Amino acid sequence: MNALQLVSTLLKIALVLGVVLGIGGALTWNDRRMSSMMQDRIGPNRAVFVLPPWLARTLFAAPAFLVAGALAAWAYLSPAPASVAASVRATERILITLELSVLVAWIGLAALTARATRSSPANGFERWLASTVRDPRNVFYAGLAAHVLLIPARYAIAGTPLSASLKPILFTAGPVLLAVVVAASALYAASLVPATGFRLRMAGLMHTAADGLKMIFKEDFVPKNGDRLLHSIAPMFGLFPPLVVLAVVPFGDVLCLAGGKVAGVVPSAGICTDPASSVTMQVLDLDIGILFIFAMSGAGVVGAALAGWASDNKFSLLGGLRAASQMVSYEVTLGLTLVGAFVVYNTLRLDDMVRWQGENAWGIFVQPVAFFLFFAAATAETKRIPFDLPEGESEIVGYFTEYSGMKFGMFFFAEYLEIVTSSALLVTLFLGGWQLPFLHRDGLTIAFGDTVLLHYGMTHLSVTLLQVATFFGKVVLVCLVQAVIRWTLPRFRYDQLMRLGWRTLLPLSIANIVVTAIAVLVVQSSPGAANVLELLGDLTQGVVAAAMIAAVVALVLWALKPVTRAQTVLSSSAELAQAQGGTRATPMQA
Amino acid sequence: MNQEPKSPAAESAPQPRRGGGIIGKKLPRPDRSPSVQSYVPEIAKGMGVLLDHFFRNTRDMVFGQRNDPVLEALEPGINTISYPEQKRPYPERFRGLHRLTTREDGSPRCVACLCCSTACPAQCIYIEPAEYPEGDARRGYERYPARFVIDELRCIFCGFCVEACPCDAIRMDTGAHAVPYDSRDQFVYHKDLLLSFANRRGDHQTRNPRAESPDPGWPGIDRLGKHG
Repeated sequence: MNALQLVSTLLKIALVLGVVLGIGGALTWNDRRMSSMMQDRIGPNRAVFVLPPWLARTLFAAPAFLVAGALAAWAYLSPAPASVAASVRATERILITLELSVLVAWIGLAALTARATRSSPANGFERWLASTVRDPRNVFYAGLAAHVLLIPARYAIAGTPLSASLKPILFTAGPVLLAVVVAASALYAASLVPATGFRLRMAGLMHTAADGLKMIFKEDFVPKNGDRLLHSIAPMFGLFPPLVVLAVVPFGDVLCLAGGKVAGVVPSAGICTDPASSVTMQVLDLDIGILFIFAMSGAGVVGAALAGWASDNKFSLLGGLRAASQMVSYEVTLGLTLVGAFVVYNTLRLDDMVRWQGENAWGIFVQPVAFFLFFAAATAETKRIPFDLPEGESEIVGYFTEYSGMKFGMFFFAEYLEIVTSSALLVTLFLGGWQLPFLHRDGLTIAFGDTVLLHYGMTHLSVTLLQVATFFGKVVLVCLVQAVIRWTLPRFRYDQLMRLGWRTLLPLSIANIVVTAIAVLVVQSSPGAANVLELLGDLTQGVVAAAMIAAVVALVLWALKPVTRAQTVLSSSAELAQAQGGTRATPMQA
Repeated sequence: MNQEPKSPAAESAPQPRRGGGIIGKKLPRPDRSPSVQSYVPEIAKGMGVLLDHFFRNTRDMVFGQRNDPVLEALEPGINTISYPEQKRPYPERFRGLHRLTTREDGSPRCVACLCCSTACPAQCIYIEPAEYPEGDARRGYERYPARFVIDELRCIFCGFCVEACPCDAIRMDTGAHAVPYDSRDQFVYHKDLLLSFANRRGDHQTRNPRAESPDPGWPGIDRLGKHG
């Protein structure tokens, strides 16, 4: 192992741990936020930090000025090279900085317009915003138009003398413009901090942090007749498997570091195989890949069963037994479901599976039944609603009845981590991992079969960053779907759970194996099928891309739809109280 | 006998079959179509309903199209008390945490007679009586508590200890309720802590008079004269 591998491994561990723990923490918050938002009640945002004005101003301005300073330094330290006109990297830098400037500008202006129209405008500029612009939506439309105009403008002047003379200027001016916009927005935001202090609520995120802090300082209770050692070890057994499973999940393509390839364009075919100069975006590059995951996630049952046994409590024991039988039952389906996927992907390595999905079609199109079976079984493995019988807080309190403080917190957090882990697996196996439709190692190539519709070159670094962002974005989305499932479905009865596992999911997964094997044999023995399948695979990529664009457009249109509420609906008792002059309590006399 | 002609609707209604068959209103049977039995479309439908509510409420809050529920709850005219920013005042005779009243010299008024610990139904009071030192006028007449312990977790706040006390030495007029602590032993209050509590006016004593040893009204004075 050379120094590069050592450093990159440590960095990758830090990245995966940081992102996953962050998603886990955000999920605990999201769980409450979501429940309050859909039931239209006060969410978990009671925890408030009142920051003094100087601190709030510093917190607003300092990071923005750091970013702006870094951008200015970047612009100063890297002057435009002689070959700026032909360089893909230069074009990318100019476009990204310009687009980001437009983005920061319109987001800031829209927020400012919303503020100016809602409350009284503070100065002449805000008065102009409130009277002339009137609606934040207008700023959004203008910003969108500016974004869209930048792209045809680039194509229009490409190759002309104007482009040749403009490019070296914009190469420096782009970062400078972004720095100015960021600094100006931060300064204005800092000037808006009221003199009474800034109330930092962060939509309830502080509440989650406060809860975590509380857990650490709470009493650590061990039952008198419980097994002290096992009682203490069990939470670690619960927390360990979901974390260690993530080691083999790839979150990006191989990153080539040799000879300035990062800043340039690499060819789409051929993977840089030299381990001395390339970094795999995967903490642990194992040949057995998916089997390691089964071995580790199978160990998750030990934590719950031990907790139930060591607590010396009948309800804990019931919860532990339920957890053990449920997780073992669904482990079978989980494993058999993936056999079909192995047959198709022809590998056990997760990064090869993702590559296969990029070259052909995402797993959800190849193995649709397996996707649903795996999703159901993985949800059952996380021991959450509708499969939360081991906990079942309304019947038995669950295997962690006798746990308090951070030990309980570890079980609780392990559940959320299991959501992240199962989502990461689902994304890797069935939703294309870090693949975006039509995004290849050399950039964006929209092609169906052999006809190339569009090719747009991108540098290796931006492709890799986009892939990493794609993977974690997909994980967050699937986590959200799991949260929605939790808030939608009621809990199964225990016999229903067992029947679903053994009599529905298991036969279906076996049938899936048989059908998949026959289909693969048929395809391999018929010579013309490969071309048709390749075209179909490209079509699925087109479908995914179109669906993504449609979803974003629909979301934006829907969010922009104006809503007017005549009044806030109050309960009749509140109206009565208001008529009486309110029931606000006098301050406590003690 | 009903002479009215039957309505046409009643005549055209289907007659129950003769010789068996179920007579009565037909109940709708549970829907067992494949779409229901396979769960997936129904789950999607349910998630759609939920997401509709979620996104609508989120959008309205984010874009300021409705009042912030937290800030709104603090407005006057809203009949929800937002604890702990707002507190409901406790009534005058609210039984809160215990306190031990003091004499004028700051010593505990308690004479360690064990009436309170005897009366306590939860058995949460523990007292270790001790004699006053040699030379103290109260020695041989009354004792003092060397230890006075109340387990506030066992206490049921019935107030029997206050009723039982002959000296008005234990009272529950602090107006404070039990504080959440990190561990159980923090709920066990000892003498010094109980003596440090005051009533709502900040008073460590009680208004009920008590004659002390130099006072002429002190009941032990005769005894001193007789035996001392």
